[in-house]
Amino acid sequence: MKRQLPLAIIFAMGVFTIVTNFIPAKPVADVNQMFRNWYLGIITFFTFLGTINLAKVNVERTRDRSRDWQYSIILLVALATQLFLGFYKWSPDALREGSPFMYVYFNLQFPLEATMYSLLAFFMTSASFRAFRARNKEALLLLLAAVVVMLGRVPIGSSIWDGFPKVTEWIMSYPNAAAKRGIMIGIDLGLISMALRMILGIERSYMQ
Amino acid sequence: MSVLTKISNLDRRIIFLAVALAVTIPLLLPIGFPVDMSEPVQKVYDLIETLQPGSVVLMSIDYDPSGAPELYPATLSVMRQCFARNLRVFVIGMWATGVPLGQRALNTVAVDEYHKEYGKDFVNFGFRPGGAVMLVNLGRNIYDVCRQDVYGTPVEDLPMMKDVRSSKDIAFAITFSMGDPGSDQWIWYYHARYRGNLATAQTAIGAPKYYQYLQTGQLVGLIGGMKGAAEYERLVNVPGLATVGMDSQSIAHMLIIGFIVLGNLLYWREKRNK
Amino acid sequence: MWCLMPSEGSLVFRRIKFAAVTAIVIALILAALPALAASAAESAPETAPIAPVSMVSLTDTPHDGGTSIDITWRVSPTEATNPGTVIEYKIMRADSPTGEFKEVGAVPVTTTAFSDGSTLPGRQYWYRVDALSLTASVSSETSGPAASIMQWYNGDTSVLILVVFSCLSILVYIWIARRKVGQVFVRRIPALDAFDEAIGRATEMGKPVLYIAGGLDIDDPQTVASMNILARVAAKVATYGTRLMVPCCRAMQMSMARETVKESYLRVGKPDDYREEDIRYLTDDQFGFVAGVDGIMMREKPAANFYLGAFYAESLIFAETGFSTGAIQIAGTAMIDQLPFFVAACDYTLIGEELYAAGASLSQDPVQLGTIKGQDAAKALFLVIIIVGVVFSLLNKPIFYEWFSVH
Repeated sequence: MKRQLPLAIIFAMGVFTIVTNFIPAKPVADVNQMFRNWYLGIITFFTFLGTINLAKVNVERTRDRSRDWQYSIILLVALATQLFLGFYKWSPDALREGSPFMYVYFNLQFPLEATMYSLLAFFMTSASFRAFRARNKEALLLLLAAVVVMLGRVPIGSSIWDGFPKVTEWIMSYPNAAAKRGIMIGIDLGLISMALRMILGIERSYMQ
Repeated sequence: MSVLTKISNLDRRIIFLAVALAVTIPLLLPIGFPVDMSEPVQKVYDLIETLQPGSVVLMSIDYDPSGAPELYPATLSVMRQCFARNLRVFVIGMWATGVPLGQRALNTVAVDEYHKEYGKDFVNFGFRPGGAVMLVNLGRNIYDVCRQDVYGTPVEDLPMMKDVRSSKDIAFAITFSMGDPGSDQWIWYYHARYRGNLATAQTAIGAPKYYQYLQTGQLVGLIGGMKGAAEYERLVNVPGLATVGMDSQSIAHMLIIGFIVLGNLLYWREKRNK
Repeated sequence: MWCLMPSEGSLVFRRIKFAAVTAIVIALILAALPALAASAAESAPETAPIAPVSMVSLTDTPHDGGTSIDITWRVSPTEATNPGTVIEYKIMRADSPTGEFKEVGAVPVTTTAFSDGSTLPGRQYWYRVDALSLTASVSSETSGPAASIMQWYNGDTSVLILVVFSCLSILVYIWIARRKVGQVFVRRIPALDAFDEAIGRATEMGKPVLYIAGGLDIDDPQTVASMNILARVAAKVATYGTRLMVPCCRAMQMSMARETVKESYLRVGKPDDYREEDIRYLTDDQFGFVAGVDGIMMREKPAANFYLGAFYAESLIFAETGFSTGAIQIAGTAMIDQLPFFVAACDYTLIGEELYAAGASLSQDPVQLGTIKGQDAAKALFLVIIIVGVVFSLLNKPIFYEWFSVH
């Protein structure tokens, strides 16, 4: 029963969702809407689940004095501070300019996240030096296309030759779009098969 | 060890230093490369230009601070165009960490620049969880999804929302997106059901994927990366962060091309020697 | 003669002067009237009468749940004679031809169609369209009755056929695979051959294996596929006695990873070697997770890194940091934006659906193998459709394309 009940629920909900996609009739649509509302209610709680888990794990690390437990304290203090700033009596004004919440967001979180993302620029350059090799004709063609697109996507390209942006748009609109479509068709079929296996109970690894 | 061997084993830190200089120096000593226009960006601008004053534009802030350098300038520029044309702007987001960014954009453009009135000319409903399911509900009945705004005001008390109930009342929707949930959900779930005018602003990494939707007409336009944002800044005639960043991006791209060429020259030479 | 003219100061003179001025003013006004009337007509065209719209047509919106009626009409003739007079159309609805008409919508003057999405199935309605100017409004003739009909099928036949065919082909091949165990051929994926090589290398060097199952939770198919592969990798690693580290970015992903790895260790008979502390949850935050994993890589220096699942911008950061530590790297993702980074920076990459196929290929489970074959059959159908569609388009026959348009 412990296994059968969740499988039955997954089967019923999965089949119902697929079938009702083709049935617009109001009674069916209303039931579908009810299930969507339930989903939204559940997912809202999931939003907090990550935060609760994070707090729980780091409290345990601090309690057990695990490796690098000091960083867990920093995390917990930061979490508590931002929660406080968001929920305190001025919470309706938390998003007003100059509020403590916005100050912490724009002066701490913003530069930290932007910095982490900007690491990509450095890593991309080192990867391009190390790994972008024209080992065969196809790779050479790919590299040439990459160079053209890199020039076409920045103003210096059009300063060098005004054809770069046009060629770039053509590459993006035709070869690129075609390749993306092909890969996406394959990926989406994989998704369908995975979902089908989960609905039919063939795939049960997620139930562990 | 020969010079070429030394170069082929170049310490990554030198590469990182070169990138840092390529990005920093143009910021301090601007060059001013002219920004050329592309068709996908122009289409977004042209569509907004056809909207009647008072039409409602929905802007979905689906990014966080990591995507802000590319998407925040686009957000500001599109907002500027909307408020200049007296359109009404309705902001939501599927990323919780994007809410302050959307709010700051509204504070900067709607309040400080155009002196628009909250509740009448623009509203911010902030983060709406649920991704695709939320979008399906949003198109059907906005009041189901947006019960109150970021300040806790019930939706019924917002004058702008009196005649904005479903996707039919939204003249144009644009999502500023860098991942999941984002543009994919807007296209697959919102546009597939409710149609209407939909565009997206994407980070440069994500933009190539959406050309196929441009071709099929599912998107009316696409603002890709910082270049797209710079183009939009030029269209609304307010140069900002994206325009400033174009010089750095140009030099950085040239540097990467240089490294690719150098790496391949060394590779071919090595292959020939063998 | 002079004595007949009244003097300037006299009453008579003042009265004559007043009468003369009045006459001049009246004459001027009368002369200006036609000009004023003409300019008034130019600046206030709205005072001119507007003609109502015509040919109001009502039809049930097809393929819906019976809650919508489509209304179309022909523009007001005033638009041709006096453009700009009509500013909008209001659509009015009543429950009877003589009942009270209430507004259900308004459209700009450039639009001649409207869908009333607030009807009840089967109920009859009457409509009229009012043309509005700045000062006047004129109604069309009442049209009706019209009723919205509830449909039980939304007409997406092409989508239905594709979905049914895809699902059926997968199920049929699963059935075939179950009946013919060991005879289902799926081509070997090159990246999978490297799995043993990578784990062997880590074992020889005495360094751990790092496995990252992606950035999404267990509801994502890529994560589920990754867990399938993790089970095989964990079994191999347990056999060789190598350390396996699995940092996770979701709590439920961590729970699933722990169960998967524990079961693998049990299966190969090495339950005591299982280390729960090596499978831990770091943080949900994308770049916080990146920072944590990079720290693990720099400190522990794993010899083999596996990146299998859904990745976003962190993909290149992982790959480059892993390269700097000298690890052999095998990646696999269905995120098409990140595939180029993995292909460029990793030693082997599972591209797109190969990630889903990898679990099947490693396990040789007939059900999973049958699924892969079924996907291929569906893909063959898509190929045929694309080719036929291209031929029809070249022949300028839109029928094929229209049939595939989603309603």
